[in-house]
Amino acid sequence: MSISKIADTSQNNDQLYSSLSQNLKLIKNTLGNSNDLVIREITIGKAEKYTLAIIYIDGLSDKISISNAVIDKLMLDIEDHQDTEIEKIIRYLKDSCLTAGDVNDIFHFSALYNSIFNGDTVILLDESSTGIVTSTQGAKDRAVMEPATESVIRGPRESFTETLRTNTALIRRKIKSPNLWIKTRIVGEVTKTEVAVMYINDIANEKIVAEVLARLDRINIDGILEGGYIEDFIQDNKFTIFPTIYNSERPDVIAGELLDGKIAILVDGSPFVLVVPALFTSFLQSAEDYYQHWMISSLVRILRFFGIALALVAPSLYVAITTFHQEMLPTPMLISIASQREGVPFPAVVEALIMEIAFEVLREAGLRMPRTIGPAVSIVGTLVIGQAAVEAGVVSAVMVIIVALTAICSFLFPAYGLSNTVRALRFPLMIVSAIVGLYGLMFGLMIILLHLCSIRTFGVPYLSPFGPLILKDQKDALVLFPRRALLTRPRLISNKNTVRGHKYFNTKKRN
Amino acid sequence: MSKCKALCLLMILSILLSGCWSKRELNELAIVAALGIDKVDNEFDITVQVVIPGEISSKQPTSGRSPVITYHSKGATVFEAIRKMTTLTARKLYFSHLQIVVLGDELAREGIGKPLDLISRDHEFRNDFDVIVAHDATAEEVLNVLTPIEKVPAIKMLNSLRTSEKTWGTTQSIKIDELINTLNTKETSVVMSAIEIHGDKSVGMEQTNVKKSKSSAVLKYAGLAVFKEDKYIGLLTEDESRSLGFLKDKIESTIETLACPKGGTLSTEITHSKTKIKGKFKNGSPKINVAIDVNQNVGEVECDIDLTKEKSLQYVNKKTAELIKKRIEKTISTVQQSYRVDIFGFGEVLHRTNPKEWKKIKKDWLTIFQELPVKVEVHVNTQGLGTMENSLVNKSEGK
Repeated sequence: MSISKIADTSQNNDQLYSSLSQNLKLIKNTLGNSNDLVIREITIGKAEKYTLAIIYIDGLSDKISISNAVIDKLMLDIEDHQDTEIEKIIRYLKDSCLTAGDVNDIFHFSALYNSIFNGDTVILLDESSTGIVTSTQGAKDRAVMEPATESVIRGPRESFTETLRTNTALIRRKIKSPNLWIKTRIVGEVTKTEVAVMYINDIANEKIVAEVLARLDRINIDGILEGGYIEDFIQDNKFTIFPTIYNSERPDVIAGELLDGKIAILVDGSPFVLVVPALFTSFLQSAEDYYQHWMISSLVRILRFFGIALALVAPSLYVAITTFHQEMLPTPMLISIASQREGVPFPAVVEALIMEIAFEVLREAGLRMPRTIGPAVSIVGTLVIGQAAVEAGVVSAVMVIIVALTAICSFLFPAYGLSNTVRALRFPLMIVSAIVGLYGLMFGLMIILLHLCSIRTFGVPYLSPFGPLILKDQKDALVLFPRRALLTRPRLISNKNTVRGHKYFNTKKRN
Repeated sequence: MSKCKALCLLMILSILLSGCWSKRELNELAIVAALGIDKVDNEFDITVQVVIPGEISSKQPTSGRSPVITYHSKGATVFEAIRKMTTLTARKLYFSHLQIVVLGDELAREGIGKPLDLISRDHEFRNDFDVIVAHDATAEEVLNVLTPIEKVPAIKMLNSLRTSEKTWGTTQSIKIDELINTLNTKETSVVMSAIEIHGDKSVGMEQTNVKKSKSSAVLKYAGLAVFKEDKYIGLLTEDESRSLGFLKDKIESTIETLACPKGGTLSTEITHSKTKIKGKFKNGSPKINVAIDVNQNVGEVECDIDLTKEKSLQYVNKKTAELIKKRIEKTISTVQQSYRVDIFGFGEVLHRTNPKEWKKIKKDWLTIFQELPVKVEVHVNTQGLGTMENSLVNKSEGK
């Protein structure tokens, strides 16, 4: 464990006083006498010459290490020190007495608060305006577990936790390179949340790194509780419904993105790590694509593209064709659909809207409700929507098929962000289809396409490598080429150090 | 800001000005499967066969009601009669899924040019439906017959038209646009498949017709109807129809039955047939050469013949060729003498061969056609014997 490296930057007049009692009084007042603040005053040495106070927050610090590395040393092992100069005593304590992993000096109250709220222990000596920080962080945190939102059949089973340090460590364990750099910012006036920007120094584009840091510095808000807060602040286009920042809770995904030259943003307190710049294709690619045979992955990717199209337009197509372009259907199909529509009291679009909204309601209810009553919702959902509605003749069976198809397709996305976008866009498309048929649907899709073309994410066109078309990068877009063809990194992300491996050529020759 | 306004205006206009306003819910439509046109007392008598979707869906046929309903009305023009029909029908008639148009016998004999105008002019009609003639019946009677298996009679008519065209060769489907194109060319005459009703016409329109395993009334293709200009003048027999199929290179597969040397019969299945027609002018008088290349398999042997021998196969080849040749020659002379219209498209062939010479004879084409010398050559190749070599008849006699 290390002391959180928060620079003691505050230049205001909040320097520590030299009187211990004055310091302690101020600290207590500032914290409003909150009872998780522990202040232990002791005198050290046989002569009990020096009074000092040990300050930490109960629950954030590891009590065992406080007792072993700080209190034990100070109370039992300390030699009587002949020096009376307070500076020398401090150095003695730091250099020879305290056995914690990391020991530092602090001079200001702001730094003191930062330290104790990060779980470190501060030692203040009487007659000195310098405090000592020892690293004793030990807040309760969740163990590294299997990812809940991005499960794979094959691949690592670990996921990020809420602790920033654990998360950086998980990434470092994957990329053991001195070039994996971390830049930290504190964001949030009140929450003082630590935000770490991680990138591989000789791969990532420095301009984008600088831009990310600059955008992080510009954030002015009281608190950051999750990466989503930051996402909203730093994205290029504030009005787009498409996600322009990728997130994942899998260290292997993040490591892969870092190797592409992208930049990861880790927010303390959230297991979701953000990645910029995020391209449209990254939302359709799963970590597992790279772990299985490239042909299988390519097929699955094509399936996903097909799925997104279906999830987006299936209900609109149904509405448009059955109310405007009946001549487009083969006759037996038209008769079959018409026979199911017999007696349905609503126009196709109303039917579609009812069913889609009912499904969205069910889905949302299933997400938020307590686990124990989950099955109840699915029973009610299947019975009410799937069967009773059709049998009662309120909706047609085809519509149920369409809604089910759309629903299943919208779960095909490896990344949840895009799935939400598609869910939302389905409704306006349904409405234009109901007004002007396929013409309207095409019109809507054109607008979406134009919008997609206009989006940039940290300066990179969102639709690349399709728009602009980059032939070289098609190797890892709609389909996945064999690994030996994946020798270069995506061109628009970063244009330095673009070759992934030279050695592969050599081994190939040797064989 | 003004840019934004312009953009909004553009979007709204492009939606509103598109003219795509024909919104129709599926359950507001009466899907017309077949259209029948008859002529009664100088008025068009229109019959439409409307599908009742609920009776056709595979779920459960609700009530044993008829799967289709026919409406008919009269009018001075086809369009008028169709619009008049709204006083009868529960929903607006929807013609885009029209499968087949049936022209009544009487109307066909008077001329089919006029009533076809609307169905090729109106935008709601697609141009991929077939046109057939009712032989010895009115279109209304044909459309009233209920059919088993295919619950929609229109689809049954279309399916058996297609199937027999593919595997037997006595029918030829003709789409509306092709029909109108052929009517416009003066040289070639139209042939259309003709349908007739076998059995009791009045029982045919009742649901009982499809409740028995043997229907009282069935729809059957009688052969090809020959037209002179737009008038129906006669029906080709089955053999003549197949010969016409060979000449128009429309035979995909058919069956030929020939006599064996020692008595008995043998059937072959034609699997491939390619016809080449070449025209020639000799001293200004035209000549036609027809070369037909046929591949066949032996399909059924009911006689004593040793098919393992090369000689027998040569016999089969020769006999089949002769059979086809004779039939075609007979058909040509029948058409030349009794119908006197060029249904084979020989005029077109000559036109293509030598446009200059063609211009000279174009005026008198139909007279020249009656005396046109046609040379037919048929080459047959037997490829397979099926899944056994010699017939059971042959084997038992060998013992």
